[in-house]
Amino acid sequence: MRKNTGKLLGTVARYVCYAAFLLVILFPLYWIVTMSLKEYKDIIAFPPKFWFTPTLDHYREVLFGGASFSSVSNMPEFLRYVLNSLLTTGSAVALGLVLGLPAAYVLGRVRTKLNEQIAGTFMSYRFAPELAVILPLYAIYKNAGLYDTFIGLILVHQLIVLPLVVWIMRGFFREIPRDIEEAARIDGANEWQIFLKVMLPVVKAGIGSAMIISFVFSWNNLLFGLVMSGGGTMPVTMGILQTMTFDQIKWGEMAAAAVVSSVPGIVIAVFAQRFLVKGLTMGAVK
Amino acid sequence: MKKHGVLSVFTDNEKVARFFMLMPAFLVLVGILVPFVMGVWTSLTDKKLYATHSNFVFLQNYIDNFTNPVFLTSLRNTLLYVLMAILLQLPLGLLAAALLDIPSRTKGFMRTVLVFPLLIPPIVSSLMWKTMMQPNSGMLNYLLGLFGIDSFPWLTGIHTVLFSLVIVDTWIYLPFVTIILLSGLQSLPSDILESAQVDGAGPIRTFFSIKLRWLKTSILLILLFRICDSLKTFEIIYSTTRGGPMNASRTLNIMAYEEAFRWSNTGQAMSIVFTLWIIAFVVSTYLMGKWNKSGIE
Repeated sequence: MRKNTGKLLGTVARYVCYAAFLLVILFPLYWIVTMSLKEYKDIIAFPPKFWFTPTLDHYREVLFGGASFSSVSNMPEFLRYVLNSLLTTGSAVALGLVLGLPAAYVLGRVRTKLNEQIAGTFMSYRFAPELAVILPLYAIYKNAGLYDTFIGLILVHQLIVLPLVVWIMRGFFREIPRDIEEAARIDGANEWQIFLKVMLPVVKAGIGSAMIISFVFSWNNLLFGLVMSGGGTMPVTMGILQTMTFDQIKWGEMAAAAVVSSVPGIVIAVFAQRFLVKGLTMGAVK
Repeated sequence: MKKHGVLSVFTDNEKVARFFMLMPAFLVLVGILVPFVMGVWTSLTDKKLYATHSNFVFLQNYIDNFTNPVFLTSLRNTLLYVLMAILLQLPLGLLAAALLDIPSRTKGFMRTVLVFPLLIPPIVSSLMWKTMMQPNSGMLNYLLGLFGIDSFPWLTGIHTVLFSLVIVDTWIYLPFVTIILLSGLQSLPSDILESAQVDGAGPIRTFFSIKLRWLKTSILLILLFRICDSLKTFEIIYSTTRGGPMNASRTLNIMAYEEAFRWSNTGQAMSIVFTLWIIAFVVSTYLMGKWNKSGIE
């Protein structure tokens, strides 16, 4: 009897903890989503309003309005930032995979001391402050005409993407049994065929993980945009800051912009959470 | 089967093929060193952002830093931020991981929710918390008021700002800590747990004497990531306080950025970045070494 009461208490305590975690994680998200749907007077109301008449005005303003202060094109500014981010991040991930997959394959399959050191160096770049590279790079870019260009930004984003791809994929490649490689070799496949036609299909799920993770961290980055892009390539994260002008913060538009810029992350959380977790933990395996 | 020609060395020879597979990424690795070395050089000069000429001043920038009270405050803030972040995130992460390790029907749902903060842009999370932390109109002070607690200054108080930023940091990165710890817990061989149960160890003792020890590798990895990332934390502070009020949340990374792009002192900025880089390098080398060795014994 006593044992059952103890067990029940334990279960109750557990669910109370679950509820607390859920509340802490979800409440801020709920708050910014509702803020993006509130009229200005409801946003600044105190005490805060839980019940209000929702409006899509801020989304309309962010996504379709605002063209008035964009003389360059007729496209609304914020939508252009979204496209800039898609182009930069998409290409950066693609380049990262092209460079990183073969490297990760070698570093994962051939475990020499030198290779371990190279893999470690990739990771140590991940831990160093980015400014140590991009501050001097800013001067180089200005001279080379790469400042505020997509090519320049895509290259800079390799600082994030490449270490992630190499580190995550190294773990996936290492898990493949030797037999598969040997069998292909006996069949007369050369090294490149083994890599492209045998190994890559086996680690398909891993490539998905690496893509998702590097996409998110590249998309979410603000610092590279701040340093390396002017008006032409500004990413979506900087677009959010544009709603905060010198004399006022347009809270509603800021919230709407924030929600729009979070869409890729939320889609991944809901539909590809498994890949994300697998990728993160695979990178954690030695 | 095998083709013969000039290309055959490139395709058939294992070593040559692997060399070419590794080469492109390796070149990027080396390429990144070029601006890095240039930066080290710049930190020894009095370079201004838009000046074409600069003078070699050797260690003068570093000497200036260590006699500059703002720099020393920034250094202290940086270290304090890291310390608070670790002390908050590791225990909370352990608790969350231990809870999620228990089989339950809600697990899938919990995990989906758990990864939200990690996936949305840090600048969004920071601004979100900033609105909730507004001292007069914010949600948090309203909630505190319901419990009869006086309003808290959050990001606007010089004694509370750093801690408030760490709360935001924790909200964003706790999922990462939890995921790593959870996967560590789930890799624990079940025979070890069973033998502990046979010996009559309760769940709490099992946790401390077996699971925590098993998690050593995961904990080292978390320290590695969280210490290094908190050392260079930028977006959370830049989008909320930019180092204020009165330098109370100025960290080395924020100070370096402002020195470079607000005051155009590139040389000075680089010397701040490299002081930070050295700290990060020492910590990451030490922890990576420890992490590599852990688990072998």
